[in-house]
Amino acid sequence: MKRSITLTGAPIDEAALVASRTPSGSAGAVVCFSGCVRGREADRRIEAIDYEAFPAMVHRQFEAIFDAAEQRWPLESVEVVHRTGRVATGEPSLWIRVTSPHRAEALAACGWIIDEMKRVVPIWKRPLWGAGRGG
Amino acid sequence: MTVSIQFWSYFRDLTGTAVDTLEVAEGSTVGTVLDALYCRYPALQPLRASTLVAVGVEYADPQQVLRANEEVSLFPPVQGG
Repeated sequence: MKRSITLTGAPIDEAALVASRTPSGSAGAVVCFSGCVRGREADRRIEAIDYEAFPAMVHRQFEAIFDAAEQRWPLESVEVVHRTGRVATGEPSLWIRVTSPHRAEALAACGWIIDEMKRVVPIWKRPLWGAGRGG
Repeated sequence: MTVSIQFWSYFRDLTGTAVDTLEVAEGSTVGTVLDALYCRYPALQPLRASTLVAVGVEYADPQQVLRANEEVSLFPPVQGG
């Protein structure tokens, strides 16, 4: 399974990432997911989120997640891009692409990888709260 | 032996530092190091139940025996995405 993990302080260029896919005759499903900064949390407004990562451990934990995902589903590739630094409301902080022969595996694996990331990958966020209530 | 300590996220704010070192006896466990750190940094004590601990880049249990120069990291629950 092809795999990649990128931590970046630069904006995630979703269009460029989508365009970067290498065509495969065997991958019938290509699932791309973007996680974006919400403008509110409960009733508080968020202007941006600062992301911090423990890079070496991020890579190790994602590798372990990919190993487990590969055991569960016949995946052809998994690519993860996660932001560090300040990400403005509406901008992507996470981008994932999973490819597999069929859609069920790609969709299931993509969701599972995100769930696992939120459980074990050492990345933290600090919201920059805006004035007033969210809306 | 010397063990390196790293604090991540708001644990840095609570301890006032990103790194520290501890001198502990040979054969000491992660739990021994945690006990020493909770004495040195009482602000971490209330968060003990939710604190995550790693040795190097792997999660560690309190029973894990440490070797010299290993790096122990303490951090709050992760929040990627």
